Amino acid sequence: MALKRNGSWLVISAVLAVTALMMLRLVAAVPQEVRSRIAAAFQVHTREGNVDKKPVRYIKDPNPAWSSIAVNAEHDMVVMTDENLFRVVEYSRLDNTPPKARFTEPKRIIGGDQTRMEMLCGAYIDPKTLDVYVTNNDTQDWMPVFSKNAKGNVAPDRLLATPHRTWGIVGDETRQELYMTIQFPSAVIVYRKTAAGNDAPLRLLEGDATELADPHGIALDLKNDLIIVSNHGHRRFYGGAAVSTLTETWEQWIGKSTADLNGLPRRYLPGLGKFEMPSINIYTRSASGNTAPVRVIKGPMTQLNWPSHVAVHEERGEIFVANDADDSILVFRTSDTGDVAPTRVIKGPKTRVKNPTGLSLDVKNGELWVANMGNFAATVFPVTANGDVAPLRVIRGGPADQIGLMIGNPGAVGYDSKRQQILVPN
Amino acid sequence: MAHPQIAAFARLANGGQTPSRRIYGQTSMLSRTMHDIRYNSVDDEILVPNPFSNAILTFRGGADGQEPPIRIIQGPNTELNGPDRLDIDVVHREIFVPGRGNVLVFPLDGNGDVRPKRVIRGPDTQVDGSSIAVDPLHNLFATTGRDQSILVFDRTANGNAKPLHVIRGPNTQIDRINQMAIYPAGKLLVVAMPGVQGAMEPPRVFVGMWSLDDDGDVAPKWTITGKQTGLKKPFAVALNPEHKEIYVTDMRLNGVMTFSVPEIFKPVAERAASAGQR
Repeated sequence: MALKRNGSWLVISAVLAVTALMMLRLVAAVPQEVRSRIAAAFQVHTREGNVDKKPVRYIKDPNPAWSSIAVNAEHDMVVMTDENLFRVVEYSRLDNTPPKARFTEPKRIIGGDQTRMEMLCGAYIDPKTLDVYVTNNDTQDWMPVFSKNAKGNVAPDRLLATPHRTWGIVGDETRQELYMTIQFPSAVIVYRKTAAGNDAPLRLLEGDATELADPHGIALDLKNDLIIVSNHGHRRFYGGAAVSTLTETWEQWIGKSTADLNGLPRRYLPGLGKFEMPSINIYTRSASGNTAPVRVIKGPMTQLNWPSHVAVHEERGEIFVANDADDSILVFRTSDTGDVAPTRVIKGPKTRVKNPTGLSLDVKNGELWVANMGNFAATVFPVTANGDVAPLRVIRGGPADQIGLMIGNPGAVGYDSKRQQILVPN
Repeated sequence: MAHPQIAAFARLANGGQTPSRRIYGQTSMLSRTMHDIRYNSVDDEILVPNPFSNAILTFRGGADGQEPPIRIIQGPNTELNGPDRLDIDVVHREIFVPGRGNVLVFPLDGNGDVRPKRVIRGPDTQVDGSSIAVDPLHNLFATTGRDQSILVFDRTANGNAKPLHVIRGPNTQIDRINQMAIYPAGKLLVVAMPGVQGAMEPPRVFVGMWSLDDDGDVAPKWTITGKQTGLKKPFAVALNPEHKEIYVTDMRLNGVMTFSVPEIFKPVAERAASAGQR
């Protein structure tokens, strides 16, 4: 009985301690020894027994799943986010994996339970400081920022609490602002570049008139003062402008506990939802609130198929789109509107483009970088590339003869008893 | 997630073995993150929710590649509000969808803007509705309730119904509940417990199992957890009674584990007999 009481006390103490730490957002800073003690206190008790044995089988991709890419030409710096192994990885711009090599060793790797990184989807490099900004799309509602010297399992140099399902990120160095997409509730959110902690955003672009529908990639055309956003097409309706159900300030709401970061609290028209065609929406740069796009590229001619990250080449007046489900890169004119065909399509077996989700432009060297989730390779093309062309260089994070499993945050599992197959959705 | 998909792996797949097929692409209408998937063995169909478009999608069981769903439940009459999880009852041909404070029940072959057949909703229900599993054999369903609880209802419950059982309290050790599954022959509820929200490696994670007859502040009958299991954040569970296996996905590992657990796949009658012998 005494033992039982002692056990209960330990559990209660541990619960209180962990809750307090969660509230203070300091869990990542807890030393390993303390965490081990907490873990011991959390030993699960049962009535009939615990099964503590190795799984008989374990499906796991040992290779990276590149989800986004950012390039800094001045410092030959290429950064990719790895959604499978939860890492930020840096390569040299001129790396080129020899055909027989298993993979290229990165210059540095940031990853581990201190980093506040899990389902990474976006990356941005500060051109002056070389700080790396990354978005967590799920499970960690933070934007960690790492200095150019960060390496290994380190705490971020800065953290900004961001809404759940933040995806793309781009910086406006002129105005010192960060733009991010939120998949749901569909929105573009803009912060001060130096925002940290629970800082409130400067503005939100959200509402029925925006036609945002599960937005993913985001780019800025500062020459024409535009925001370019790719959308998968999944949509809910507010009945006009977005109606917030917040009853407190942003800082109060977002700062209460991580459990409250499950999405911007919004009121929708009940039951309504729609599958729209994928699109590239173009807004004025300063758009906020329930503002309509100035142009929308959308329709069967566009070939858009789960458009992911986007980039703009201002001098060429072109929008580059990583077209995930079509294994292609599409190029549109920034002046395009409606149901238009892309001016160029990079696609085919020679390109080695496979489930491209990440994309970045190196304007200085005239190169287009593609992060391929399907084969853990970064492929580099001339910005003028068209058709089934071989890449100039390839940086592989895994073997050339394998393809990625692309398991990402497996939130469910099912069993198909007819085919004896395990069903794993992302 | 950068890339939504449903990947189907051979039951005996191991390591980095590639999936046998994938459902993906614009025409599939899939979005991230699918927090539930159910296989209908009677009609050979796959069901998943799409919370961003407020829809329930049904695919052919053998769907492959960029294949569209064969049925979609969506529209203002459905009352769907960001459906995140679901379960199906192939015996009584119903789909159970937990929502924000309710459970909606649709016909299994429902298509388009259909009204729910039943709605469990109201203060007496205690429903929070983030996960669900149905037992067609004993006419029960389990769902999540307020204050980290599991509620067990009569399968045909409707309106402001009271749960038959409430499993709640510190002995349950419930921090957070993700996907649930039921082994009807054993009247056993199996639940993925990924630990406290937001922690990268929460201190208490497990797969927990309760009898559907359990009530009150009770510890799980069985758990799967510990160093040997390698589990870090178990997000989902599926059962294979034929091979006496439990499939567990782990978010922190981005992997799928198969546990062979014949000890839990015992029908209720068999359990009672062995208990009597003891």
